[in-house]
Amino acid sequence: MSVNGQSVPGPQEPTAATQLRKAVVVGGNRIPFARTGGAYTKSSNQDMLTAALDGLIARFGLQDERIGEVAAGAVLKHSRDFNLTREAVLGSALSAETPAYDLQQACATGLETVLGLANKIKLGQIESAIAGGVDSASDAPIAVSEGLREVLLDLNRAKTVSRKLQVLSRLRPKDLAPDAPNTGEPRTGLSMGEHQALTTAQWKITREAQDELAFNSHKNLAAAYDAGFFDDLLTPYRGLSRDSNLRADTSLEKLATLKPVFGKNLGAEATMTAGNSTPLTDGASTVLLASEEWADAHDLPKLAAVVDGEAAAVDFVHGKDGLLMAPAFAVPRLLARHNLTLEDFDFFEIHEAFAGTVLSTLAAWEDEEFGRTRLGLDGAFGSIDRSKLNVNGSSLAAGHPFAATGGRIVASLAKMLHGKGQADGRPARGLVSICAAGGQGVVAILEAL
Amino acid sequence: MSSSQTVILGEMPALSKLYVNAAATAARRRVLGTHGGTELPPYTHEVRGVRADVTNLTAYQHLIGETASDVLPAGFIHALAFPLAMSVMNRDDFPLPLLGMIHLSNTVVQSAPVLFTEALDIRARVDNLRGHRAGTQLDVVAEVRAAGQAEVRWRGVSTYLAKGVFLPGIDKPSVPVAPPPFSAPDPTAIWQLGVDTGRAYAAVSGDFNPIHLSVLTAKAMGLRRSLAHGMYLASRALADVGAVKGDSFSWEVAFEAPVFLPARVALDISTVQAGGGAWKRSDYVAWNPLSGRRHFSGSVAALS
Repeated sequence: MSVNGQSVPGPQEPTAATQLRKAVVVGGNRIPFARTGGAYTKSSNQDMLTAALDGLIARFGLQDERIGEVAAGAVLKHSRDFNLTREAVLGSALSAETPAYDLQQACATGLETVLGLANKIKLGQIESAIAGGVDSASDAPIAVSEGLREVLLDLNRAKTVSRKLQVLSRLRPKDLAPDAPNTGEPRTGLSMGEHQALTTAQWKITREAQDELAFNSHKNLAAAYDAGFFDDLLTPYRGLSRDSNLRADTSLEKLATLKPVFGKNLGAEATMTAGNSTPLTDGASTVLLASEEWADAHDLPKLAAVVDGEAAAVDFVHGKDGLLMAPAFAVPRLLARHNLTLEDFDFFEIHEAFAGTVLSTLAAWEDEEFGRTRLGLDGAFGSIDRSKLNVNGSSLAAGHPFAATGGRIVASLAKMLHGKGQADGRPARGLVSICAAGGQGVVAILEAL
Repeated sequence: MSSSQTVILGEMPALSKLYVNAAATAARRRVLGTHGGTELPPYTHEVRGVRADVTNLTAYQHLIGETASDVLPAGFIHALAFPLAMSVMNRDDFPLPLLGMIHLSNTVVQSAPVLFTEALDIRARVDNLRGHRAGTQLDVVAEVRAAGQAEVRWRGVSTYLAKGVFLPGIDKPSVPVAPPPFSAPDPTAIWQLGVDTGRAYAAVSGDFNPIHLSVLTAKAMGLRRSLAHGMYLASRALADVGAVKGDSFSWEVAFEAPVFLPARVALDISTVQAGGGAWKRSDYVAWNPLSGRRHFSGSVAALS
């Protein structure tokens, strides 16, 4: 059997995995996500990560606890925040003897911290862990221009006054313009939205289908809040107790009135609007992971097991695949390793970077040609029951503070799985899929406990 | 002062007006003489429904090194209550000159956390007028409650000295036994305080006392350079103690040699553990690393 051109072992009993102990999700905590320039404008990444962490500590009684390891990260990160996670730990009520590290894998950062720490727990290296992520598009770092940076560095090295003046004379007015971060891909110069617009057009995803997905995201998230689903997943911060991007009163009619913002120069019809694309957002999330022994010893819940994860990347630079299509390859590989199909899942959490991303991924999985030529299967990979997709809303409604999305999804999914318990005589099973810049994607399987 | 009468103010008084009024009162008293009172005004000033400004809160938290959480730092509450405390000392029947008073020490009991989202009732009064070897001292007592509730969440006692002012009928205490000379420990931190430290704290605390703002304004007040604000220094020390203090604690500081800006300040924080390893107290002391003179010292302790 071959998936994505690489030969992989066929359906098999996962040999190593069965000998490892379980890594379980105990619970999670995040702060509400805020649209950029909103309630968290003045809050730094460290402030928000610490707020999410302190809420988690309070919820699970972790004051003065020495956690095995804490891993988190941010995509937009100030250079002074090189030890962001450790600094957040030091500012929190955890024992100061808790080690921490930073991780960065674009929008997959949060999920990758969960997988990396879960692996350490499975291997017996640690008993407990906190995974997380944070991002602020409001308090983003702004770098000095390359010209000014070089002048400043040379100035520091210049020994004599005349040499210093010589260096300074190289400075040009344009060098004083700051270099703000953007969502453009370094190798293509296209923004993420423009990239997705290409993919959306390639898979012939309609405006109506995208608006419907966005509408469902808002409807589901609003219903989840109303049902109290987030009561034990969220701590209010800076006056927010719900995600500020959520529009409970939105409608398909309202979404249909929005003008396209991406893909306007593609030739094909532009279908991506501010309504079916995720806005820039600020926020933070955390997930408490543990061995079963540790959770039992601390009398804490065991919601779900982190079964396995898979990363994939696509060659998007010259358009072989869409920038955000890596999960379309990662999921078939991961499922093959566990001898599972899409029908074996009760919940699908597919991160809504754009409605078009989710729909393009589903379209690829349903495509015979893609299944045969790109996944090396006999036909299409499969389709999902849409009623199992993002049932409590996702990024289109909640917003997407890049590195915080993984923690949001894992904590919510673990709670949903635990609530469902069994399905078809087996533990309820959930799939997480997160696309990331650089043509990457990370996916994972969680199972109810 | 159980006989104290409460005066409810419609809003938090503006510090700028209070400083101007204090200067005018000082000038008037120079011409007309003091009013001759030797008792503190028996009035409690109160403002109800005070809310913290969140932008200002975040700026304060970042300046003193606290994480921007929703809980008001104890020093921020001091700054919030400070105009009200000033308004009591600014009354015509207050017997001491307000300008030039020296902040000797501060004690705060934070019994329960105060969130920025809460409306607060704040009260302030003056108490305990007494002699000091260098003049006359008194306490300013401020209390903060959640609006409409009886429980005091935060209580601060600030002791001020009117240097060189001796009121009839108030005895100078005998000269205390000299404390042992200060011997600086190894520092656990060094603060580099720029010349703008006073202005930066004024911007977040609202306390635009000229002695902290700039060299020029400080010179106008008879100082050679501007000073770091005592509550800025103490609040930074409180922030440095960290999350171990939890949401309820007591916090004391005694001020000694002022910190002239710019400055390097050496700091030592030592933790005292109770039986079982729980945090009991963190003692702090700060000094000038060149001269060895002590700037301030104090402690943050778990409430018993």
